[in-house]
Amino acid sequence: MTSLKRSTASDPSTNLSSKVYVRSTRSGKVQKIVRELYLRQDIPCSSRLCSQCLKTAPTDFNNKVAPFVLSETPAGTKSFPNGHYLVPDTNAFLTGMDLFEVETAFHDVIVLQTVLEEVKNRSLPLYHRLISLTKNEDKRFFVFFNEFRLETYVGRDRGESINDRNDKAVRRAVQWYGEHLQEAMRARKSVRCPTVVMISDDRENLRKSKAEKIPALTLTDYVSGLENSGQLLDMVSAGKEQREVKSGKVELIYPEYYSMSKMITGVKAGTMHQGTFNVSPYNYLEGSVHVPAFDKPLIILGRENSNRAVSGDIAVVEILPKDQWKAPSTTIIEEETLNKNDNADEDDGETVISERERRALQEEVKRAHGQSTEGRPQPTARVVGIIKRNWRQYVGHIDKDSIRSTSKASRSQQTVFLIPMDKKIPKIRIRTRQAGELVGKRVLVTIDAWDRDSRYPVGHFVRSLGELESKGAETEALLLEYDIQYRPFPKTVLDCLPAEGHDWKVPANLDDPGWKGRKDLRNLLICSIDPPGCVDIDDALHATALPNGNYHVGVHIADVSHFVKPNNAMDKEASMRGTTVYLVDKRIDMLPMLLGTDLCSIKPYVERYAFSVLWEITPDADIVSAEFTKSVIRSREAFSYEQAQLRIDDKSHQDDLTKGMRTLLMLSKKLKQKRMDAGALNLASPEVKVQTESETSDPVDIQTKKQLDTNSLVEEFMLLANISVADKNYSAFPQTALLRRHASPPKTNFEELANQLKVKRGMELRTDSSKALADSLDTCIDPREPFFNTLVRILATRCMTAAEYFCAGAQAYPEFRHYGLASEIYTHFTSPIRRYADLEAHRQLAAAIEYEQLDASLHSKPKLEAVCKNINVRHRNAQLAGRASVEYYVGQALKGRVVEEEGFVMKLFSNGFVVFVPMFGIESTIKLRDLATPEPEAEFDMESYVLTTRGSRELRVELFQKVRVRISDEAEESTGKRKARFELV
Amino acid sequence: MPLDTSTYALALLRLDGRRWNELRRIRAQTSTQAAADGSSYLEMGNTQVICTVIGPAEGRNTGAGRSGGREGEANLEVEIGFAGFSGVDRKRRGKGDKRTAEMAHTLSTAFSSLILMHLYPHSTISIHINILSQDGSILAACINAATLALVDAGVPMTDYLVACTAASSPTTSASAGGDEVSDPLLDLNAMEEQELPFLTLATVGGGEKITVLVMETRVRVERIEGMLAVGIEGCKRVKNILDGVVRGVGR
Ligand SMILES: [Zn+2]
Repeated sequence: MTSLKRSTASDPSTNLSSKVYVRSTRSGKVQKIVRELYLRQDIPCSSRLCSQCLKTAPTDFNNKVAPFVLSETPAGTKSFPNGHYLVPDTNAFLTGMDLFEVETAFHDVIVLQTVLEEVKNRSLPLYHRLISLTKNEDKRFFVFFNEFRLETYVGRDRGESINDRNDKAVRRAVQWYGEHLQEAMRARKSVRCPTVVMISDDRENLRKSKAEKIPALTLTDYVSGLENSGQLLDMVSAGKEQREVKSGKVELIYPEYYSMSKMITGVKAGTMHQGTFNVSPYNYLEGSVHVPAFDKPLIILGRENSNRAVSGDIAVVEILPKDQWKAPSTTIIEEETLNKNDNADEDDGETVISERERRALQEEVKRAHGQSTEGRPQPTARVVGIIKRNWRQYVGHIDKDSIRSTSKASRSQQTVFLIPMDKKIPKIRIRTRQAGELVGKRVLVTIDAWDRDSRYPVGHFVRSLGELESKGAETEALLLEYDIQYRPFPKTVLDCLPAEGHDWKVPANLDDPGWKGRKDLRNLLICSIDPPGCVDIDDALHATALPNGNYHVGVHIADVSHFVKPNNAMDKEASMRGTTVYLVDKRIDMLPMLLGTDLCSIKPYVERYAFSVLWEITPDADIVSAEFTKSVIRSREAFSYEQAQLRIDDKSHQDDLTKGMRTLLMLSKKLKQKRMDAGALNLASPEVKVQTESETSDPVDIQTKKQLDTNSLVEEFMLLANISVADKNYSAFPQTALLRRHASPPKTNFEELANQLKVKRGMELRTDSSKALADSLDTCIDPREPFFNTLVRILATRCMTAAEYFCAGAQAYPEFRHYGLASEIYTHFTSPIRRYADLEAHRQLAAAIEYEQLDASLHSKPKLEAVCKNINVRHRNAQLAGRASVEYYVGQALKGRVVEEEGFVMKLFSNGFVVFVPMFGIESTIKLRDLATPEPEAEFDMESYVLTTRGSRELRVELFQKVRVRISDEAEESTGKRKARFELV
Repeated sequence: MPLDTSTYALALLRLDGRRWNELRRIRAQTSTQAAADGSSYLEMGNTQVICTVIGPAEGRNTGAGRSGGREGEANLEVEIGFAGFSGVDRKRRGKGDKRTAEMAHTLSTAFSSLILMHLYPHSTISIHINILSQDGSILAACINAATLALVDAGVPMTDYLVACTAASSPTTSASAGGDEVSDPLLDLNAMEEQELPFLTLATVGGGEKITVLVMETRVRVERIEGMLAVGIEGCKRVKNILDGVVRGVGR
């Protein structure tokens, strides 16, 4: 019998090595994975100076060689006059990604495979940023697969840690590169050989490289040698440096986090809980974590308990003993008013909780105790560890009081506070050399670390956006805060556009491939109805009478999927953007203008490709049949809601187009009635429109949006189309159809509102189903106050959960339900120009009707789930950004003006209350200390929602009460935003 | 967590350092088990299988993966088993497993068209395959190992049946022109199989005639041509390697 033992001597023909990964699975098992590694010598150095590698460079399937990346004449510094290629180690990327992204420096960088892999393990967002750097042609970042190249592969010695092995691999690669380039230069008989420089902050690594004569620098040292070093140095991550400086006298003020394994065990055993940490918008010291085990969120009170968690982090918490439970805060507490005088510079003797914070908290607890018998105490908890930080870049402004020297000339480094625009984020300590210049500017920073010895997180400066309150800076700030991609579309995306540009036309020849599978619907009298000035027209409609008395009705949607093919650069960009974002004076498109406002847009009088949903509908608005087809249409007119309404109402118009619109209106009213009967909710959110001067886009007027019948006409048919498409896509792709659901809100969400209505108005809010809720909302009427019903609807809307996109296979059918629309199934189909979800639905529908094949990415559940996750976030951010933009413009419109308006009390605190002004759709907090000086004493009756003040000003404020407020503007000091300021008249 | 297949585009290198058109190391031996009429051991990278052939022997059994057995022809039985330690997690895969049965069926159909079955009426040829280690291209490895074992057993066949896998790499937009670039990849390991659409194909004697083509993932039609081209070329190379193994036995 022949032996089966594998010979251990490696095969001379292939240089084979193997790599062992150990990973632990979710269930806690440890798996050992052995992977082969084929070592080779044909991995090019990708330097344009090297002709040797060009000869052996690999070709792809189409026999093409990838162009070489690294420049022939790389930039240099004083220390490297011949130019240099940089080889950063993992930590350099982790701490200095912002620097590497700077346009004016850091070109010709070699990213080692070892480093790329480590970056991926440590931080996925940074990994993605690094990958996009490698795709940026101007930056010339080259990924060198050092682990696969025979000369640069290094093994792991016995007893050597993985980190040490990886550092060794980096040094080996730098050394090889250096020698390889010298060889190349000898072949060229040239002397100007660029130096290959390792960038590392690891002392041991630097020491070893010195011993091995490998050029190496710390990130800071390297940056110091650059021209605009002052600005760039600020961007070097603060965490590491400061830690070293302080290491001598460390006073730990926060409790230590539990180990990961302890937390995992605890969560499993149910003694600890995991959830997203959120900070109350009214009280920065109160956080909450929603965990599956409790109906109501766990309250986390105070800095020590929140233990360095930042809003958005995924934290693990431990429940506190029952005697420390309390009701949610009824006090407004703002960081700025309490800790105004903290010193940014000195950490000496810093305690977690400042004296004033302690006092504010004590009062809270006292109150909670006094009430705990009749009040509704909720479980409180403390953070014991963080599973995942969700830190992003933050926009804010420098606290001018924290600056030691404001002289612009002063280049000395000092530590200052950055106050984030987002009130839920704590102040951030920043070290900067340009403090003087940054005062009064909008500034972008990141958080690097939050150690146990620092009350505030430590971060570093990224860049300045411009003057506070300047339109450019504020708009950019808003876009950054909501993570909206607003840079112009890169060339790779524009290259995907049709070559004909604006001259593109529907082919005249019906034999053209573009006509394949399309219905010719050019004879239909189709029109579009949109807000005035709409240029990206997604949808158009038509209706004609049929001989049998029924109607033929069509919704025609821009055929975006014809122009945007899956997985090309344009599709990827659109997928990342997820949605078009509408700000007051600006639109950030999901797709390039050429498509959005021209080729896809269903403009009047021209032929366009469309995706049509066609129904036969009875006069009672019952659907007889539905059909889906790609088509060619010609819209006869683009109406605004108002124009359409006028045309429908004007009896002198008796043409077929107008008749069709009247039919649509008639049917839409019946459709709406059916929806309402089924329990659809008529919710309200304050919507206002800011009118801007067209030239300067300075705000001149604010109006609440008017609702016309034609608004609802369009809405009803879009809903109908979306539902029809959802049905079709789901039956074709039961696992991967992209749908939209709106979960029924848990009953507890409505508890407070229901109680408020009962106590204050004797009204009953029933929430057992959307139908019950809709009906009971209809009864919440105050005959003397017409706005009261809307106010209740606004408040009810805030109790809802958010609707979300999902992949059909991820939920059971009953969970598909759209609560607000009272529909069993729903998707988004009607706005593919401005929503990526709709574009995906188009692709799925096209495959469902066998118009074309479905791309593999739309078959893969994991991929679709990733798409859903992203567009859910984007969708939400776009909404928030839109609202913030309105808020900003309302502030600007009010600038220098004083108006008196009617408002309603919508929330009460023990030291203030929130007033909503319907006229402007804004709400603002009125604090007692703003009512009079000294601050009036107050008594807050939580049971009957009444706040009574005595002393310097005597008032009785009730929930839902109508008040008159004087509105002026103020630049809010804590956030640097200009906001409406309310005063009680 | 190592890198994934999306990095292929960065340097045209796969997760284990191979180029798009490279096979993993294939090593094989025949006559590994004296007790069987024919036997083989085959490695494709870290995928390892052993195969034994019993027969042709008198009598007809009925079992899983049976094929042929028409009047006057031999009966071919194929049985495939996975060793408990073969996968990453020690999962038992019984004989009743549907996918295993499918693989056995694929093998028996393919080989019964190559073996000169009419030479052995009323007899049975059984192929037993045991998978010792799984790292992708399992079906291909089974086919190749079975070919070797059948040759070792002296079962007359019209030619070798050789197999390999081919995939389509993730799309990357070329910097110029915006048209899509997607290289077909040859001989997948387990990680690549999880992430990419792929097919297994087997050709007769490493020629152009495809007898087995299995694809369980979805892929764009345009990609298939490239995948087939690479697969056929791969099979040709596998044929040469197996040929070398068979000829080496004499030495
Ligand atoms: Zn070279």
